[in-house]
Amino acid sequence: MILVALLLATQVVVQDPRLERLDPETRSSVVAIVDSARGMRLPSEPLVQRALEGATKGAGAPRIVAAVRRLATDLGTVRTALGEGASTPELEAAVAALRAGASTHVLTNLRTARRGPLTMALSVLADLVASGVPADSAAAAVLALAPNARDADLVDFRRAVERDISLGAPPGASAAVRALNTGVRDATATADGQPPPRPPRRP
Amino acid sequence: MGIDRVETGDAELVRRVRAGDIGAYGALVARYRDRLGRYAVHMIGDREDAEEALQDSFVRAYRSLERCYDPARFGAWLYGILVNRCRTTGARAARRRRLFVYDAEALTGASHPDAMERLEWTDAVERALARLAPEYREAFLLKHVEELEYEEIAELTGDGISALKMRVKRARAQLQKFLREAEHV
Amino acid sequence: MFEHDDDIVERMIRQLRRPVSLDPGLAARVMGEIAAPAHPGKKRTWPWLAAAAAAVLGAVVIAHPWTRGSTTSTDAFQFVLMAPQAASVSLVGDFNDWDPARAPMQTAHGVWATVVPLAPGRYRYAFLVNGVEWRADPAAPNAIDDEFGTPSSVVTVAGRGS
Repeated sequence: MILVALLLATQVVVQDPRLERLDPETRSSVVAIVDSARGMRLPSEPLVQRALEGATKGAGAPRIVAAVRRLATDLGTVRTALGEGASTPELEAAVAALRAGASTHVLTNLRTARRGPLTMALSVLADLVASGVPADSAAAAVLALAPNARDADLVDFRRAVERDISLGAPPGASAAVRALNTGVRDATATADGQPPPRPPRRP
Repeated sequence: MGIDRVETGDAELVRRVRAGDIGAYGALVARYRDRLGRYAVHMIGDREDAEEALQDSFVRAYRSLERCYDPARFGAWLYGILVNRCRTTGARAARRRRLFVYDAEALTGASHPDAMERLEWTDAVERALARLAPEYREAFLLKHVEELEYEEIAELTGDGISALKMRVKRARAQLQKFLREAEHV
Repeated sequence: MFEHDDDIVERMIRQLRRPVSLDPGLAARVMGEIAAPAHPGKKRTWPWLAAAAAAVLGAVVIAHPWTRGSTTSTDAFQFVLMAPQAASVSLVGDFNDWDPARAPMQTAHGVWATVVPLAPGRYRYAFLVNGVEWRADPAAPNAIDDEFGTPSSVVTVAGRGS
């Protein structure tokens, strides 16, 4: 009896007042997900924000709960790939990259390839894919730039590729050629290490 | 907004700005942005620096609008401000790598190898430009790309016409050489 | 494919004459700078943006150090939307709990703007027009997922020293 009472006592968690915006049914499901995420030492803020986004947009309970649950799962996946020390911004950016099509291998390789926070590199990867660059081209380009490019360089790169695409460039070609000419070798290698296709020689 | 899409001359727009209609300056910005932006990007060779130079020039032109003595030739006056602004940036940007400058026609095309070749040509062009001395590049761009008359170029750069002609001639000769070299890589 | 010497320069000139793409937010930035009160050393508030012509295509995110040397590491970002027909526009996103009441935008001549401080991180956001219409930011990257069926954009703020 005492054991049960103790267990119940430890289950009582102070609830985030912002979740009051959710209807009770949604709220209890979301709270449960948030609590279990906290238990796994995953950040809760992204989950709360996702729930609030759904609330503001008038989404129904099942949709909100599904979105929050999916995010919690993905946060766990990327945390495994990036390691325990990953910050919340890194994890959020990593989820975006994952959903853009980057494999967990890419995430792990990026961790090895780049010192300092990965937030911008991962964001740029996701943003490139959102602009139409194929996921493996985006991953290859970011991995190639990762060792030496500053965050600002990565942003420049992303903007440059987006401009190219808005002018009609084939997205994969733009990303590959730009990464190549940033002075990095092997930029057109795919993320899993295949050699690049050779461009045709000029007559 | 008070500005219609029918071509209102520069002189009228300047008059309105001077009368307090800031929105009329927006029409001038829209009118000259692409042309001046093109010059800045090719001259400086770095898109971010070029945009910064362009932005600064527009702002400076607005703030010193009373010194535009011939509002009908606002464009030429604005070019002069930009050319000078690009001269100061040129020195800073010299050590940075030059980025590609793409354009629509070079890039539309279905197959990957064609796109690569076009991008390489565009790159060769920019690299050849980068190898020119700044005063040669400036003269070449103003004459052949911006298609200004030598008299106009002389006015906004403060250089003599014969000196400008010589620079353009030498620029062409050098560019020929650079482009030929690039072909044989 | 032997090209006459002069022709290669002419080909280059044709190449250079082609339009160059510029940041669509540039005109808005120019107009914003012109309209802003020039008070160096003070907090810069940009409540009004003067009209820019049709060249102002979309929105722009500009970083301005809010206070130099402050202990909280946030920079102020300006969000801008061209929406001449709108009666109200709110900025909502991960940085303000998606609460439309938190960042109502100010307007002048069809250009809506607001400034928010942002700590380093990646933020999804969108504009809510007239309380009902969701718009992504035309000049920002699109958010990958729109699980709720409406478009969103992303802004990523770099950490200091990165």
